[in-house]
Amino acid sequence: MSWMIRGLLVSALLLVGCKHAAPSVTPEPTTPVAETCDAKQQEISKEADQRAAPWSIEQHLAKNFPEGSVSWLMKEGPYQTFVVQSGAKNFGRCDDSGCYLFAAPSSVIQEAVKKSMTGATHDPAVLGQALGLPAKNFEGPLRMMTLNLRESGSCVRLPVDADPGVWKCQTEQDTDCFKFGGYTSGGVPEVMVINAPVAQAVVTEIP
Amino acid sequence: MSREQVVHQSPLLYRVLREEDGALVIEVVVGGIAMSAVRVRLTEAEAEAFTREGSAFSDRLAKDIMAWPPFGGRSYDAPTG
Repeated sequence: MSWMIRGLLVSALLLVGCKHAAPSVTPEPTTPVAETCDAKQQEISKEADQRAAPWSIEQHLAKNFPEGSVSWLMKEGPYQTFVVQSGAKNFGRCDDSGCYLFAAPSSVIQEAVKKSMTGATHDPAVLGQALGLPAKNFEGPLRMMTLNLRESGSCVRLPVDADPGVWKCQTEQDTDCFKFGGYTSGGVPEVMVINAPVAQAVVTEIP
Repeated sequence: MSREQVVHQSPLLYRVLREEDGALVIEVVVGGIAMSAVRVRLTEAEAEAFTREGSAFSDRLAKDIMAWPPFGGRSYDAPTG
């Protein structure tokens, strides 16, 4: 039975991966994803690019997100409470200006999840090591969300210190906190996605 | 499992709960590319501030917890169920 569950999960992961790896017959849009941002987000993105110079969101997307899709993980409990039961329209932390979500390249998250599968469940230690985060963050059932940025039309920019949910470093020794530049403290590429629609995300159970 | 009542839920990804013994607890989603939830039991002063200011206070408290999830050792993992 456990092998059947594992097989189904691996198949689902491969399906998601194949979807994004398949040659596209649709011409690539000429508008960069970052230009789908509203005036406020464009201003924040411009300031972030100036601070990161010579790096920029466009270079970051081209280098680290070539497949054009992002993924992130959420523990089952908060997913049920704050996404399903609340009937959320967008993922992330919302205020009057939008909903803010940290996300990583889908290939990085999917590969880490695949590597962590042992029997019917994932190994939090392996997943934590692969993503450079404490194993504690991955204990218990998880949900993995995947979103195609070009199809969703979501605004994407480099994350900044003022973004909702940023864990501010208290000391130089802190590693599990936000560092500006487009990478997590564990070295995983990340972006800030504004208004990621729940309806357009592929949600996978990670037992 | 103890019964608890949701007093306030925010799109900022937190909620305030009243536990069976009457104490207020705030549950906050923390983390970036991997999100989980922690809880903090409100002190008497914080509970009074929440009663007085409502979501203006709980928004500030939730943001403080997101910015530093250990919250001085006061936070603990939210129950999975």
